[in-house]
Amino acid sequence: MSELSATVMNLPRRDAQDKLRGRTKYTNDRIRPDMLHAVLLRSTVPAGRIRKLDVSAALRCPGVRAVATGADAPGLYGIGIADHPLLAIDTIRYHGEPIAVIAAETEKQARAALAAIVLEVEPLAPVFTMAEALQPAARLVHEGWRGYEVITEGGARAGNIAWEAKSSRGDVDAAFARPDIRIVESSFTVGRQSHVPFEPRVAIGSWEDGRAHIQTSTQVPWTVRNVTGRVMQLPPGRVRVTVPPVGGGFGLKFDASIEPITALLARMTGRTVVLENTRQEEMATCLCRENAEIRIRSAVTPEGYIAGREAVVLMDCGAYGGEQVFLTTMTAHTLGGNYKVGAMRLVSRAVYTNTPPNGAFRACNGVYNTFALERHTDEICDALGFDPMEFRKQNVLGDGDLGATGQVFEADVLGPMLDRMEALRASTGTSEAKADGRLYGIATTVGTWFVFVGPSAATVNLNADGSATLVTSGVEIGSGTMVQSLPQIVAGQLGLAPDQVIVREADTDAAGLDVGVGGGRTTVSIGAASIAACAEVREKLLRTAGEMLQTRPEDLVLRDGRVEITGRPGSGMSIPAVVAHAQATTGPITGSGAFTARNTPAMSGCAMGHFIDALDIPVFVVHEAEVAVDPDTGHVEVLAYRVVQDVGRALNPRAILGQIQGGVVQGLGYALHEEVTLTVDGRIAQDDFETYRLPLAQDVIPVAADLYEGAPSMGPLGTKGAGEVPILAVGAAIGCAVARAIGKPVQQLPLTPPRVLRLLHEREPPPEFPHIAPGWAANTLG
Amino acid sequence: MTVTFQLNGEDCRFHGDPMTPLVDILRQERFLTGTKAVCREGFCGACTVHVDDEAVPSCLKPIALVQGCAVTTIEGLSSGNHPLHPLQAAFEAADAVQCGMCFPGMVMSLSAFVRDNPHASRPEIKAAMVGNICRCTGYERIVDTVADCLDQARKAGQLVGGVHV
Ligand code: FES
Ligand code: FES
Repeated sequence: MSELSATVMNLPRRDAQDKLRGRTKYTNDRIRPDMLHAVLLRSTVPAGRIRKLDVSAALRCPGVRAVATGADAPGLYGIGIADHPLLAIDTIRYHGEPIAVIAAETEKQARAALAAIVLEVEPLAPVFTMAEALQPAARLVHEGWRGYEVITEGGARAGNIAWEAKSSRGDVDAAFARPDIRIVESSFTVGRQSHVPFEPRVAIGSWEDGRAHIQTSTQVPWTVRNVTGRVMQLPPGRVRVTVPPVGGGFGLKFDASIEPITALLARMTGRTVVLENTRQEEMATCLCRENAEIRIRSAVTPEGYIAGREAVVLMDCGAYGGEQVFLTTMTAHTLGGNYKVGAMRLVSRAVYTNTPPNGAFRACNGVYNTFALERHTDEICDALGFDPMEFRKQNVLGDGDLGATGQVFEADVLGPMLDRMEALRASTGTSEAKADGRLYGIATTVGTWFVFVGPSAATVNLNADGSATLVTSGVEIGSGTMVQSLPQIVAGQLGLAPDQVIVREADTDAAGLDVGVGGGRTTVSIGAASIAACAEVREKLLRTAGEMLQTRPEDLVLRDGRVEITGRPGSGMSIPAVVAHAQATTGPITGSGAFTARNTPAMSGCAMGHFIDALDIPVFVVHEAEVAVDPDTGHVEVLAYRVVQDVGRALNPRAILGQIQGGVVQGLGYALHEEVTLTVDGRIAQDDFETYRLPLAQDVIPVAADLYEGAPSMGPLGTKGAGEVPILAVGAAIGCAVARAIGKPVQQLPLTPPRVLRLLHEREPPPEFPHIAPGWAANTLG
Repeated sequence: MTVTFQLNGEDCRFHGDPMTPLVDILRQERFLTGTKAVCREGFCGACTVHVDDEAVPSCLKPIALVQGCAVTTIEGLSSGNHPLHPLQAAFEAADAVQCGMCFPGMVMSLSAFVRDNPHASRPEIKAAMVGNICRCTGYERIVDTVADCLDQARKAGQLVGGVHV
């Protein structure tokens, strides 16, 4: 695209001033006194059968206008498999699961009426861990799993295994049987991470002209629309979803959860109903980054060639399959990424437990699989005596190399990025002196992630004042794509200034299908759809101007709000004059555009049960951390952090650097102190800011970053998503750096001071996975 | 119980439970939703307002304790079309904002801090931010911006934001 030269870089955010003045109305700022307030009756046991649920007394409480239970919304929803009711029906599967909901004039009245609901539950023995869930005699979290509707075909399922995805390429047995190889085996375990967006999940539902209208803080307006239709057993077109500015998402709002409840209550009452999670509810039912268990084995030659690799990844999906079903796909691309491997086979299983459901979180399973792969790589280097940097340079994926599913990677990207990291380190210097007597470690790690492409639609209306209105289902969650990259892209295409581009907030009645904001996809997918819409607008504009100027359209260009004759600046006429003429003769000028995945090929037979067989747009990172570990306290101080990130093309370097700083800091929290644990009755123990330790200003350091441009991308103007991937390799870089500092293997995150002390004194038991069979095939459903 | 106080320069009267947190009155009765109730436990700082020129978390302030006080919220810091407080202007210019939910509280805390600590160093600015959490930005750009503001004000021989309510 030649319009790159016309695209304004580093556009400031148009939403910043209102946000700074406190004027921006997030969803939870739109609560009005005439709305009904909904509160949920949630389960206080992790597993049970509902024997009696009687809400009649609650209905008679002061101020109560409606009470709903599972019977009012019988449809099931899910990703891959429809296993999830809106409100528990017959069976309770996690502590905190919604069972009934009350709408009343005030929140206080609604809460008071909760006590009037009669609920009798017969407790069942909970299945808390994946080890328990995979026992042959384990109780089934979903007794009726066979009967669920399968939304996406292809995954193997059985009992407590909600979904299994496998990839297999080459003769792995032969690789492991070679006489010249050494086998290195490693095990890792990681806990959950809570998103803690500052705005909790909140929705406002109303019922207008026989249809639901939900205003909500979501990343996926179309998912909310479709799920609401499903559970209420309505055609989804009877649901409209609009999205005000979102106060943080990070993946938590990539699934529908409480939104349909407001539509249900609005239909029952004819009133507008608001439902907002309290902070305690938000954290206790957070769709966390899942806890996971990873075993990985590699067969490596004395020359440092990775002849074979196999891995088993268990992902805890909690009580319902949700996003983890989809995310089993990503193991092939994360554990199977980064390095050239002769032959490999990987299996990834989403396992049901009686714990709160997990979900998507920035770079999802990539964060811990990258930790596992990079620590395993260092263990290979330790065992065989390789220099970790040289080993990586020798083995990272290059042009023509194969991924786990047989995808062929294009261009040398990671190799040159490693060189750039060395140059960055040379320019910043290292910080070893700051260790000041503590144990010092430095590690350089690599990571492979992707841009989640998929369907997006855009419409551009060219207005008589020369402005353009962009209508999409995109959502501004804070990353700036809606207020920076999209106006930059559209303005560049139409020869306008970015402030002449009006960006409509998401409205499923106004814009076409979109799979949502996540996976770094907005700039790429909505950007590409917007460019296609602009192409139609340009064509109409130039055709009309051509008639007016008696010039062929191919001799015209759009520049500075004018249609000009090529090579004659100032010639031609203003865009408003052309639009006015078009409106009077052929009609208003509009254009529409669409985009979806290209479906890059995998090798046949290599990918089983995958939602994505190959990556259309891979994204690579190189992260380097320097740490100092206090041997007396176990405290890890991060002394320096450096990033080289593959961005394709940086349209707004300043905004990308802001995403890198923010993403790395979220990763530091994950690596060092953000810890979610379950109580003996299956509750998330950390349900407030006191018990869940978020990074503070004093914990963090400035990240030195270098944006690597020029890697191939099908994204518009060569872009790739840049907001998701900065968190990818932080657990890896910190884990490897701490392992080197203390001279002990690190097999678990987060590295809290007590854990680091235990590691130092060899009192931390290494992860043992008796529920993972020694033979790879025994860990699959065949 | 009746409580009277000044809210953004105007007289304000509240009848009701004296233990009601100030943040609830601001948001639910006055629709001053720039003050955010994020943690409600005094940890995040998103609800920070000025009470008699001092930055305090409004979630921990029972309304009875503002009797006779002057309360300023983010809406009162620079109202209407009036110019932004220099810190707000600097955050805008630096592209520091992301989701934006923490910023009203950040601005209220830091505006009081820079007024009282015109010579603060970078580590002192960070220490002052212990009660203001941001989940999006990773802080450093906010700290840089505050440090730059103080630097420029010192060079010009002024206080950041001058004297304000
Ligand atoms: S809401 Fe008051 S400090 Fe968090
Ligand atoms: S910008 Fe989102 S919490 Fe600070």
